[in-house]
Amino acid sequence: MAKKVTIKEDFLKGIWKENPILIALLGLCPTLAVTISVENGLAMGLAASFVLICSSTIISLLRNLIPKQVRIASFIVVIATFVTIADRYLAAFYPDISRNLGPFIPLIIVNCMILGRQEAFASKNGVGRSILDALGMGIGFTLVLIILSAIRELLGSGTILGIQVMWPSFTPWMVMILPPGAFLTLGLMIGASNWINDRRAK
Amino acid sequence: MNTSVKMILVLTIIATLSGGLLSFWDAYTSPKIEEYRQSEVKKAVKEVLPPAANYREKVIQTDSYTFYLGYDGDELIGITFNIKGGGFQDIISLMVGVTPDFKQITGLSVLDQKETPGLGTKIAVDPSRKGEETWFTEQFKGKSPFPEMYYVKNKQAGTENEIEAISGATISSQAVVTILNTHIPAAKTAYESLNQ
Amino acid sequence: MELLVIFISAAIVNNFVLSQFLGICPFVGVSKRVDSAVSMGMAVTFVMTITAVVTWLIYHLLLVPYNLEILQYVSFILVIASLVQLVEMFIRKVSKPLYDALGIFLPLITTNCAILGLALIAVLREYSFMESLIYGIGAGAGFTLALVIMAGIREELELADVPRHFQGAGITMIIAGSLALAFMGFAGLI
Repeated sequence: MAKKVTIKEDFLKGIWKENPILIALLGLCPTLAVTISVENGLAMGLAASFVLICSSTIISLLRNLIPKQVRIASFIVVIATFVTIADRYLAAFYPDISRNLGPFIPLIIVNCMILGRQEAFASKNGVGRSILDALGMGIGFTLVLIILSAIRELLGSGTILGIQVMWPSFTPWMVMILPPGAFLTLGLMIGASNWINDRRAK
Repeated sequence: MNTSVKMILVLTIIATLSGGLLSFWDAYTSPKIEEYRQSEVKKAVKEVLPPAANYREKVIQTDSYTFYLGYDGDELIGITFNIKGGGFQDIISLMVGVTPDFKQITGLSVLDQKETPGLGTKIAVDPSRKGEETWFTEQFKGKSPFPEMYYVKNKQAGTENEIEAISGATISSQAVVTILNTHIPAAKTAYESLNQ
Repeated sequence: MELLVIFISAAIVNNFVLSQFLGICPFVGVSKRVDSAVSMGMAVTFVMTITAVVTWLIYHLLLVPYNLEILQYVSFILVIASLVQLVEMFIRKVSKPLYDALGIFLPLITTNCAILGLALIAVLREYSFMESLIYGIGAGAGFTLALVIMAGIREELELADVPRHFQGAGITMIIAGSLALAFMGFAGLI
């Protein structure tokens, strides 16, 4: 049964139903690597969303001009250009964040979520819908990063955004800010989102 | 139009636009990034030198080290330089300040490290010691790098060559000591050969 | 000695997948069977080694002398994409069996962040030509190691009774967490 695609759907599907991280399992590398603190997670989410929205806009505008054989190459050049812009912007104005995120800002280029949206959506749809789609996906991506990094920062350092929230005698669970904690937390989050989807389907 | 001609044309146009946009952006952000880098170095240099009422500095570049000479008025109060070496997991980059004769360390600060969060990172900041988070680097002040520095575990450092290791991060502590032991004598030789 | 340290660091202590989080997508996607994991690992190692060499040359002989560092990302990713294409064509010409084994994995490698990550990190650390080469081989070996271990575990897992909501990606992540924990034991090896 073909459903009628609405504007609301273009926007909302990225946030939950086709969430790039929890459902589509795209863009996992930065998700796991930078979520040591909420600040980092938020910065990564915003940077990736910026690149996604800009790239989707350009690609959707050029979609009829780009020959099929070189579309991937063109997408990559456009994405890499916006990533360089975001990377330089952070380095110039938010040097601390830029240093914390290290090579994971340039690695947005190969974030499968961004290339995936160009291939699956922006190269086939108009500008308006592509921007909405990118916006929804960007928000969905950022939200998961914030939740994941909040859990890890809270348990791993006892703080949120650098502010102490756990009681003073709380011993931080060191493992949460180390690599294993990233995998475990994301695994549990994926399990939880499957469970919620199941409950809602019933 | 021929497909391959169109392919090349479109790619060229996209690449040219991208290059143009980026060179514009480069011109806009580069000075700011450079400025920040300079100010970071300046800050670290001042941090590891003794306080001076009338501070000014001079930079001498050699093949292996860049020396920042700190003066109080006309008097040379210390020499700082950047040294690097392997840590527990990755390179540790330090800024160290010594007296003009290299006999005493006037200060140490960690510029960059990627040690284990919560353990090795204590070489830079130790949140468990409120009020003295940088105790590890602080303790190097006044210590002597000659003949050799070493660390002790779980007790107060005594002699002027001793420093106290971080419990649970002995390897990171040792790495810092090793970097100092390798580079300070080498820097001394390099510096002294300048004046001859 | 220095080179050996770089190799061990990239392959084991700072394992690309389990401690640097690079190449997670293929790690989750292509780790269902050991034989395909081995093929994927070989293909990635191959491309990584060439990438390490070529991006080093581009960065140090082209970008730095002409002051074009801002084009680093754009040029690196283009180089990787064309390299993958060339390697694919080359293997198809030279060895049919090898192409059959690696063929379907090659196009996926362009967007494997481990490859671009390798090139970027080698520049960040100011590696020399030789160091970059060894780093590339080490990173490839580490990727293969993680992928094959994971595939071995997942083959066994088919017989296990995994809670329904954790089947697939969820349990893979949790196993990866345990593996990462085990790999942390190697820290201090260098």
